[in-house]
Amino acid sequence: MKSFNLSLIMILSMSTLNSCQQVRPWERGMLARPEMAWDSDPLGGLLQDHIFFSKEASSGGNTAAGGGCGCN
Amino acid sequence: MKPRKSSGLIALSATALALPGISLSDAPPAQSSAFYKISNYSEDDLERSESPFGDLERYDIDVHQFRLISPIGRNFSFSLDANHETMSGASPWYTSSDSNGDPIVALSGASGIYDERSEVSFSTSYYLSQGTVSGTAGYSEENDYRAIYYALGGSRNFNSELTTLSFGYSYSSDEIFPTDAALFNRVKHERKNSKSGVVSVSQIISQNSTYQVSLSISEQAGFLSDPYKLKDVRPSSKTQIAFTNSFRHFLQKNNAAVHVNYRYYHDDFGISSHTIDSSWHQNIGRSLRVVPNIRYYTQSAAYFFTNIADFTIPNNAYQSSDYRLSAFGALSGGIDLVFNYGRWSTILSAERYVANDSFAGYAVNRPSASLVKFNRFSIGFEYIF
Repeated sequence: MKSFNLSLIMILSMSTLNSCQQVRPWERGMLARPEMAWDSDPLGGLLQDHIFFSKEASSGGNTAAGGGCGCN
Repeated sequence: MKPRKSSGLIALSATALALPGISLSDAPPAQSSAFYKISNYSEDDLERSESPFGDLERYDIDVHQFRLISPIGRNFSFSLDANHETMSGASPWYTSSDSNGDPIVALSGASGIYDERSEVSFSTSYYLSQGTVSGTAGYSEENDYRAIYYALGGSRNFNSELTTLSFGYSYSSDEIFPTDAALFNRVKHERKNSKSGVVSVSQIISQNSTYQVSLSISEQAGFLSDPYKLKDVRPSSKTQIAFTNSFRHFLQKNNAAVHVNYRYYHDDFGISSHTIDSSWHQNIGRSLRVVPNIRYYTQSAAYFFTNIADFTIPNNAYQSSDYRLSAFGALSGGIDLVFNYGRWSTILSAERYVANDSFAGYAVNRPSASLVKFNRFSIGFEYIF
């Protein structure tokens, strides 16, 4: 059931890619703004990831992270 | 007694920054940038009802972060990350029950606990006409923990550069050598290693919207227990999977951007979680941006979690009363103020985090007595040259 749910989420997510507009390079000014970055505060995001990694059981996401930590 | 704490794992997250998300242009940064941020992280004391005896004070950590990013020639960039943390306080040592049968916790003892962590990592990226290739290597050391790690990543643009496919791989080799091992009958020296892979697709949806979907899988092997807890025996391997969605939209009418992220997580300790967070990036004039943000997290419990340690079961039977393996929910929120003036920018941040079993979206069969609450304050600077 869990893998079915995950597959369903992935299919729905990927299907949104089909509904995209053609956006020319010169029309991407808004997308290049700093507040539109995936991580607009890199050091702050890094610290938050570290805190949540230390205080919650979950980790991982859109980054290649995977080591060990003995955080208390 | 000294607790152990964080390792170089955070640095693996730095790899994320080397792994491109969406490519608006495949070229090195036009200028160099230097970043510095100092933060204070402070956990609330435990309630006396949670810990009837001893110290109640928990962790207080100061964090210094530095980053330098610089272009090299026409196709390379280089970045250096350096972090330093100093920590004092205490963490849960063992659990038992009070006269009513409710769980109570004993802390490791606040007096005299002090630790430091230092870390450095280097990254480089090579920019191709339709993508990037990047690599990271790093080292982290503290009194009782050492990590050496590397990461590789790449990206490829296609579909008129509307779509970016990214991938990454990382490996970390960690050593654990607890302090006061002989005194407290702890393990003396153990190892673990971690491998992680991620694939993501970023898509430009419109002139104002982008979307990213990612799948990451991590495997850990080796000593995964907590050597500072009195009764903590965990499996020697763990597989984790995380599925993440991120959406960004710019509202021209409001001169603001909205961020929404969702993550589903599952591992073979039996823990599943949902995380959703959102932030509003409001521009005010040309020099100020105000960013309120909110986050909700909920997880289920590990199959071997107990809220009252059982000291009668065999030492090789899996058991942990670590509150981080219990079922709970957490709400957090904060605000960032970003000031831009010429080549400088400053960011002020404040955050409040509260974990509670009553916030849980999963069934809580064994509520933990020591869920964490904390405040974080940061000030950061960026200089472009």
